[in-house]
Amino acid sequence: MIPETLKRGNSTRGALSRERDVREAYAAHSGELYGFAVRSLGDAGLAEEAVQETFVRAWRAGERFDPKIGSLRTWLFAILRNVVIDLGRARAVRPGVAEGGVEPSVEPLEEALLSWQVEEAMRRIGEDHRRVIVETYYRGRPYAEVAEELGVPEGTIKSRVYYGLRALRVVLEEMGYED
Amino acid sequence: MKTRNDCRDWRELLGVYALGQLEGDERAGLEAHLEGCAQCRAELALLEPVALMLPHADPERFESAPQPPPELGARIAATIAGERKQGEKRRRRRLFGGFALGGATAALATAVLAIFVLGGGSGGEPARHVRFASQGVSIDATLEPHAYGTEIRMYVHGVESGTLCKVSLRGPGGVAYPAGTFRYRWGEDSEAVLSSALDLSRTRAVVVRAGKRTFVAPLGRAPIAANTQLEEEPT
Repeated sequence: MIPETLKRGNSTRGALSRERDVREAYAAHSGELYGFAVRSLGDAGLAEEAVQETFVRAWRAGERFDPKIGSLRTWLFAILRNVVIDLGRARAVRPGVAEGGVEPSVEPLEEALLSWQVEEAMRRIGEDHRRVIVETYYRGRPYAEVAEELGVPEGTIKSRVYYGLRALRVVLEEMGYED
Repeated sequence: MKTRNDCRDWRELLGVYALGQLEGDERAGLEAHLEGCAQCRAELALLEPVALMLPHADPERFESAPQPPPELGARIAATIAGERKQGEKRRRRRLFGGFALGGATAALATAVLAIFVLGGGSGGEPARHVRFASQGVSIDATLEPHAYGTEIRMYVHGVESGTLCKVSLRGPGGVAYPAGTFRYRWGEDSEAVLSSALDLSRTRAVVVRAGKRTFVAPLGRAPIAANTQLEEEPT
């Protein structure tokens, strides 16, 4: 399932043609964009290049940005996706890179986006909720064992899984997730 | 065994159920409850897509998000500023390219271009940025040196929509060099681009007359004079 994850976001009024707008957009969105770039390119240096290229392209096309169509965040992510595709292509034709055996793994873009979103959402929910989901779901530990370790009843662990998934849903919706 | 009155208790098991980890009596009991409880079914429908997304994540990455290096923002700003200046140079070249029609005219064009690019006495002067605020009014101005004088890019916020703003630069001895006028429009956040014949190196203050109020932002000696206090002159 590939959700239409980036349809919504914080709406920001105005074009992006001024350098001051770019500075503000960078302050608001660079962390997320960089996180996704690292996740999809698997390389910090390339991710920096991708984020830089994203903001430069956004500035060049700033007059075309229309907040009535979509949020600034959505627009920046759309540009970043194109940049990541371009960088991926450039790397694919660059001779010799793959031979060195250091080529970072490149996931398909949609998969990388989905992974990054879930990971980002997990980072944003509360520690208690994240921990029970990690221990029971990702590590597959029995609920009773996790309950004993945390010193709470097993029922509490189960309810934390529920509230944790609820919180994840809310965060993902804030990030633009729609069913 | 829980009863239907314990809807909340059943609901709190929905997370484990959505993950496919609820077993035995609890699973059977919850499924029986779900058949008769539209509210819990709706709740489950919210959780299931989230549960399906979990396998795509790598839990090793949950602890800390990678952060962009601190200098990246400045690098991007410098790249954009450089590109804008290149664009301005190209536009000027196109403007003066029209002179290159024939022998004597071409020589004249070269001379004009040379004066334009080299003259003006402002070579090497860095751009200055002033941001000032007073009593709800804020003014942001970037001043760039040019051969013809100084370019001013300005944003004004906090005055009534439609207010006529007259801008000038104040030189040595308090002499005013007009830079132009613009109207502040609420909701329109494009910048006003103005120019004055006064060299930036000789500029002492930016003066904005917004309606009946006059604001004076003195220009410090530092290349970037941010957050300058705004003096409001009595009218």
